[in-house]
Amino acid sequence: MQDELSYVKDETAIPSLLKKAKDDKIETVWDRALAMQPQCGFGEMGVCCTNCSMGPCRIVKISPDGPKKGICGATEDTIASRNFARSVAAGSAAHSDHGRDIAEALHYAAEQKRPIKDEKKLRALAEEWGIQTEGRSVEDLASKVAEKALNEFGKPFGHLQFVERAPQKRKEIWESMDVTPRAIDRDIVEVLHSTHMGCDADYRNIITAAVRAALSDGWGGSMIGTELSDILFGTPVPHEVEANLGVLKKDCVNIVVHGHEPTLSEALVLAVNDPDLIEAAKQEGAQGINLVGMCCTGNEVAMRHGIPMAGNFFQQELAVVTGVVEAMVVDVQCIMPSLPQVAKCYHTKLITTSRKAKIPGAVHMEFDEKNSVECARKIVLEAVMNFKNRTDNVLVPEEKVTGRIGYSVESIIRALDGITNTFAHQSGTVKPLVDAVKSGVLRGVAAIVGCNNHRVPADQSHVLLAKELIKNDVLVVTTGCGAHACIKAGLMSEDAVKLCGKGLATCCELLKVPPVLHMGSCVDISRILQLLAIISKYMNVDIKDLPVAAAAPEWMSEKALSIGTYAVASGIYVVLGVTPQITGSENLTKYLTSDMENIYGGRFEIESDPIKAAHKILDHIEVKRKQLDI
Amino acid sequence: MSLFDIIFTGSEQALAACKSIVEKTVAERGENAKVAFPGTAYSLPTIYAATGKKINTLAELKNVIPMIESLIVKEQNLEKALNAGLATAVAAEVIEACKYVGENTPYAEPCIGFIPDTVIRSLGVPLVTGDIPGVAVIIGEAPSDEEAAKIIKSYQTKGLLVFLVGKIIDQAINTKIKMGLELRIIPLGYDVTSVIHVVTVAIRAALIFGNVQPGNLAELLKYTKERVPAFVNALGPLSELVVSAGAGAIALGFPVITDQDVQEVPENLIVQKDHDKIAATSLEARGIKIKITEIPIPVGFAAAFEGERVRKED
Ligand code: SF4
Ligand code: SF4
Repeated sequence: MQDELSYVKDETAIPSLLKKAKDDKIETVWDRALAMQPQCGFGEMGVCCTNCSMGPCRIVKISPDGPKKGICGATEDTIASRNFARSVAAGSAAHSDHGRDIAEALHYAAEQKRPIKDEKKLRALAEEWGIQTEGRSVEDLASKVAEKALNEFGKPFGHLQFVERAPQKRKEIWESMDVTPRAIDRDIVEVLHSTHMGCDADYRNIITAAVRAALSDGWGGSMIGTELSDILFGTPVPHEVEANLGVLKKDCVNIVVHGHEPTLSEALVLAVNDPDLIEAAKQEGAQGINLVGMCCTGNEVAMRHGIPMAGNFFQQELAVVTGVVEAMVVDVQCIMPSLPQVAKCYHTKLITTSRKAKIPGAVHMEFDEKNSVECARKIVLEAVMNFKNRTDNVLVPEEKVTGRIGYSVESIIRALDGITNTFAHQSGTVKPLVDAVKSGVLRGVAAIVGCNNHRVPADQSHVLLAKELIKNDVLVVTTGCGAHACIKAGLMSEDAVKLCGKGLATCCELLKVPPVLHMGSCVDISRILQLLAIISKYMNVDIKDLPVAAAAPEWMSEKALSIGTYAVASGIYVVLGVTPQITGSENLTKYLTSDMENIYGGRFEIESDPIKAAHKILDHIEVKRKQLDI
Repeated sequence: MSLFDIIFTGSEQALAACKSIVEKTVAERGENAKVAFPGTAYSLPTIYAATGKKINTLAELKNVIPMIESLIVKEQNLEKALNAGLATAVAAEVIEACKYVGENTPYAEPCIGFIPDTVIRSLGVPLVTGDIPGVAVIIGEAPSDEEAAKIIKSYQTKGLLVFLVGKIIDQAINTKIKMGLELRIIPLGYDVTSVIHVVTVAIRAALIFGNVQPGNLAELLKYTKERVPAFVNALGPLSELVVSAGAGAIALGFPVITDQDVQEVPENLIVQKDHDKIAATSLEARGIKIKITEIPIPVGFAAAFEGERVRKED
């Protein structure tokens, strides 16, 4: 047996809960990771192929007499790049299907004349997309925008609308590589086609297809998801929120909403505020209903409604272990199939809601967007009625912190307006941020995104990296489970300013923002793209010229690979804390970590030590500053 | 060149100038010559407030040079840039102190040079009550005498205390602006380094009224930032030296507003090329609101509200 403690010391695991899990004989992700050791080297290096039934094939690198080609003749380069590309396609598919659901939700909202929260943003987007706005009702506009968005997934000609947001030079680079995303589904399908047996065997060409599918995510599916979510549910504004598992309440009906799509979580937010249901909870002996969020859907409702952020990816099982969760309501993505086993040991009901994601052992209550609030009410009632089944075996952890979140591009610009001079500057621009960077007060901006992964100390990689960056006057923006990690570590509190270099601290004090800005869920990384595009256009340079970088220190999902790929293809330097399954092909590894920079201006870097990663980012930022002569 | 590099260059120039003038003065007067500003109990106030040490002789003054050197660390970050600005301020004080060595009276009409403690004590109360709503330090040269007069008067009518450094003094004289302490317009000197004499006003205010302990630099900077509503207008071409002195002002919490092309720093270094808007820009930058009722009806009264901070979205 390996040293168990190396997994347990992770910050994300609350010690009291881990101990309880052990006492209750609950198997967690850490136990399974331990049991999996050692993991298969062929898969780890990306040189195992199961793309046809002549396989599985594997390329043996360590001994000279092992097979060097698949049965069809595919080389390590072909196999590793096909695997990588398929992962990217899956990631893009996940985000994009999420975007499609939001577009559909907007369509139904228009049809049923349900309220549209951000009419201003709706109008702006309609104008951006060339939709006639004058004299049109909100519903009419919403339905037109939804239709246009839905067409982005399968339109036969042209390219994605949001490509136009990118700076001119970026568009030219994409054009020259023929990777300008065309239609989201098509770009994903093309990867699946060309990675079929006997199709594309050129690793560079395979990655090019993957790049196109990834760009279809960042500048397509994810961006649609974010923009339309804001329109439907409101654009986030800064506010306080509580985080970590201590947000669960012993005397309330606790509902954890976990997954990704805000359509479900938004409906739940409405339902838990329904007086009848609150009354029902009281009848059952509870003080009320406590809705908390987990992973990205948790980010969505925290950003828009201040719903507490219960935890991130590695905490989903521990949430159930508390014994106070009446229902964990999930939709799609990053939901561990182990959850029903954990739930079984307590009274917790795991409720699946999407026909795209069912889990054996869970209660399935399908969420119907046409009937969203009614569905949500039924789910909440199910949770309320489960309160009485709670046992004495409960432990609500003390761990809980407060932070300030809600930094959409719009609220960042509004904050920047606060430090413009009425008599000297225009409002509504990114000028103050650009000035802070150009003057050197801020050295640059870095995005920390991604998941948890047992291969690196969970949460610690996010947190150490963020701390080292802010200490060196780099503003950090974050999304996804990285955002959960940062808020739990107090990096979104007022006190965090004390951890900053003088330059960043000064900016934070002036702007009244924390040094780590929570910009939302994983699809909201499109907000970061949008911000970078605005800054590039303002400075009249390309994204690749900016003193910025990104990191996914604990990434795990295929979505993260798609994100990393679209970031690199958008000109961003991306540091991965976990090595992707590519090392079996030196050519592919070199292509992703070096050659791509010559083409796109961005590249992957692999560095698992968060402090070293921070310094690589700092070096990169200084190089870019030199090139800009600032 | 990056903004920080300009600051470092200016600070190094100040240091070099400081070294050579100290050397020259020592050569002329000997190491034991007395060093003191007239009418103060705070020795060389900047050095005293920053280090807690009083300087009495040229020999002691010479020992300040390594301290200035240690403040200039050419690393690209705000902290080091502000320290370099403070180095320039200390160097300026050393240079000015050399001028006063012996029984010299280096400043003559109309310039005032060093400002004695008694004046600061008399200014303290109106500054605290807001009767003097702010302190404007104008360095350099306006594009014309008329522009200079307009800017100076716009502050005077609002009751601000105005200090002048450089050619703007002549521009004020040319336009027959009456100057003097009671008129709240004080010409300091023609050299950039004479700006230190207004810096020491702020510093002594911190020591006298703020009870800041000499040697507690952090407290000192906090006091000047929070309690001394000063700002700088740097007009006309900016040398590296002026920019690094500006960094010193920013370190003390005083924003710099200039009419020249320079990389802006939000809230701290602001470009305003429209001279009619310099006063309004400056008052907003320093968060100075004019107490309209307490102003003795002056000419140009209507402009009194220009300093109000009005946000477009509010
Ligand atoms: S596609 Fe080629 S390498 Fe892959 S399993 Fe089939 S034969 Fe093997
Ligand atoms: S950050 Fe990763 S683990 Fe967390 S919700 Fe997003 S994809 Fe899932």
